Amino acid sequence: MGRYVLRRLLQAIPVLLGTTFLIFAIVYALPGDPLQALAGEKRVDPVFAAAMREQFHLNEPLIVRYGYYLRDIVSGDFGTTFRGLPVSTIFEGKFQVTLKLALTAVIFEGIIGIGLGLWAALRRGRWEDKAVLAVTLLMVSIPTLVSGFVLQLMLGVKLKLATGIDFFPVAGVQDGVRSYLLPGFVLAMVSIAYLTRLTRTSLMETLRADYVRTAIAKGMPRRRVLGRHALRNSLIPMVTYLGADLGTLMGGAVITETIFNLPGIGQQLFLSVYLRENPVVVGIVTVLVLIYIVANLVVDLLYAVLDPRIRYE
Amino acid sequence: MRVTKGAQIVAGTALLALAVAACGGSGDTAGSSSSAAGNAGAVRVEIAEPQHDLIPGNTTETSGAEVLNALFVGLVDYDADKKPFNRVAESIESPDSTTWTIKLKDGYKWHNGEPVVAQNFVDSWNYTANGANAQEGNYFFGSIVGYDDLNPGEGKTPTATTLSGLKVVDDKTFTVELKNPFSGFPTMLGYTAFYPLPKAAFESEGKLKADFGGNPIGNGPFKVSKPWKRGTDQTISTVRNEDFKEGKAKIDAVEFKIYTDLNTAFNDLRAGNLDIMDQLPAEAISTAKSEFGDRYIEQPSSGIGYIGFPIKSGAEYAKNADVRKAISMAIDRKTITETVFSGTRVPADDFISPVVSGYRQGACGEACTYDPAKAKALFEQAGGPKMGAIEIGYNGDGGHKEWIEAVANNLRTNLGAQVTPKPVEKFATILDDLGAKKWPGTFRMAWIMDYPSPENYLRPIFGSGGSSNYSGFKSKAFDDLLTQGDAAKSIEEGVKSYQQADDLIIKDLPYIPVYFYQTNGAYSQHVKNVKIDPFERIDLFNVEKA
Repeated sequence: MGRYVLRRLLQAIPVLLGTTFLIFAIVYALPGDPLQALAGEKRVDPVFAAAMREQFHLNEPLIVRYGYYLRDIVSGDFGTTFRGLPVSTIFEGKFQVTLKLALTAVIFEGIIGIGLGLWAALRRGRWEDKAVLAVTLLMVSIPTLVSGFVLQLMLGVKLKLATGIDFFPVAGVQDGVRSYLLPGFVLAMVSIAYLTRLTRTSLMETLRADYVRTAIAKGMPRRRVLGRHALRNSLIPMVTYLGADLGTLMGGAVITETIFNLPGIGQQLFLSVYLRENPVVVGIVTVLVLIYIVANLVVDLLYAVLDPRIRYE
Repeated sequence: MRVTKGAQIVAGTALLALAVAACGGSGDTAGSSSSAAGNAGAVRVEIAEPQHDLIPGNTTETSGAEVLNALFVGLVDYDADKKPFNRVAESIESPDSTTWTIKLKDGYKWHNGEPVVAQNFVDSWNYTANGANAQEGNYFFGSIVGYDDLNPGEGKTPTATTLSGLKVVDDKTFTVELKNPFSGFPTMLGYTAFYPLPKAAFESEGKLKADFGGNPIGNGPFKVSKPWKRGTDQTISTVRNEDFKEGKAKIDAVEFKIYTDLNTAFNDLRAGNLDIMDQLPAEAISTAKSEFGDRYIEQPSSGIGYIGFPIKSGAEYAKNADVRKAISMAIDRKTITETVFSGTRVPADDFISPVVSGYRQGACGEACTYDPAKAKALFEQAGGPKMGAIEIGYNGDGGHKEWIEAVANNLRTNLGAQVTPKPVEKFATILDDLGAKKWPGTFRMAWIMDYPSPENYLRPIFGSGGSSNYSGFKSKAFDDLLTQGDAAKSIEEGVKSYQQADDLIIKDLPYIPVYFYQTNGAYSQHVKNVKIDPFERIDLFNVEKA
């Protein structure tokens, strides 16, 4: 087990190098001069520009700059922005916000997604099942941008104005857990729908398996058949999905955090791309890749817990 | 302040009762129910994240300027007619418009209790004017004697660290020597870059303390109550300065809330979690008008949008003044501003913006009046149809596509001309090509004032050697009129000369003014007496709780 984990972590190194180089190249290949972005539509002062180019090695070839970047990263330095702020300062507190948001979303996914999926699978073919299918189809088809603004307007503004119920804040994180409920749900919406359908199909398949029929035939209580035999064996695809989704959610927080003004990395990523703060963009993506790798590793290890036949060495 | 759950429910019920009783009274502060992060009674103002720390000389964008405007007061401010009046200054006088003597009033104090003295202004201006400090507001000091020694240009070493044109006479007096006479100099002095800095801001001579920008000590009606950490903190909290010379502000505290999305901020405003917005998203204008009524603000702002022509180096149609006039007359400004911009712009009728004194309504006359028949006749008479397709260049990253396409359609329909809109990635591409005389066609252009003088709408854009003269317009008569205006005895007299210069531009039309920008704002029921100045700064000193 330990050796397996070590091997997986070692494998992550080339992945990390590859992805950071790719994103580094892409970010710096974006058309337009990042220094021009500092000056808006005015001309950049040539003296200032020359000094900045020197400081940020902008005159050197891409691969050399990447080398400098790697050197700094290894020593724990994410660099500074063109506006003179250390990237690590920008990160301060932001990953927490995004992590809280993603966890809220995963909890919503787990409870609603798995719950609805189970219910639909057990009511297979009946109207409840069909309703779940229809609702999830709708949820998948509404883009986050739309659902975000609509729910914000309905629950944050209209509900408060109409009834005085001030439960869902429109924006910001000043209201503790409540601040994350609406954004978390919006972020999770599409995933909830996917997970519902995944759970439904997966459970329906297991329910038809021979060993379940045997268990029923032996006269085992229905609850035990479902919980012990059917559900546990159909969990693997769901856990895979949930694990991979945590990474996706953190990256997908860009729109949600911007709509709800949550000061997380998603909002920062949006701002930094807009302002051409390349060092921040590369930094955020590097950390996201790391999170993704770790989440996948945890999922793989969970397989062994769910299915004792799977062994790692 | 953390509001406990119980308290929140009580407040919520009270609100509910109000709503049910359909009680229109704005009475008590309903906002207290939403648990604000900082002081419960604070007026909450929307801003975007300031791009730099809160240092006056390094702030040329509106969000940072908004905050600094609450923390600092300058030598002058601007009244309802956009004319400067003295604030910290007792008098600003000059016999020849070149050497200015500035006297300060007694009684203005820094937040740390020290009096505001002449040296504070000189220190601040020297710091900003020093090229080595890379301050964004550096160029504002270009007209003061000694600037070139501090900013010698690429590859040369500066020969001074202070402006030789600034001299402290005594604690309350200093003199400024300009390179050339400029009667409008006092109009510049209300801008953020001209605020003073206290002694406490400096670590040693000419070097700012690293943490000053997060926790600035100002001389204004509000002071920072909690140091702000740029990049991390989402609010900038300020409280009233109880020791302000002009009296106490009417509100206890101001909280600047940082938003990345204007739509989100607008929803917060509607829900009562925010009090003042001085810019609204275009798609919210009609909602804002109907929902906020009297609390919706619409006023001119300082920006002008143009279509420009390289009149010396461009294509044949760009060089022909009659064709330029025909193009101008074929543009339906009213429809474009109303439909494409949903009323966030208004048709332009002068090269001088309505926010400065010197603007004349309808000055542009026939040339800016929509008249398709006359435009077509003029276009054909000038040989326009034979001059090839008209190119309109614009940058694709700034939301300009829609109005450029609308202009192109106007020209196609009304002039029968061939028109090709030409998007480029970045505005800088057009500017570079224009600089190298390689851009043949027309181009979009915009100008936002640096200081509220008509001169600022003329010299930088159309003067010989002007910093933003991209059309290649050059006229001795024009330059002379500007010089005459600069050397005038008073601001009013100067304006007359500037207007004459303006008339020359209107005759030749190197640029076509298309629209003036508008300030669209709104405020909640919790506040009243909200005024916005030509720099788009809110006069927070006079805002009251409603």
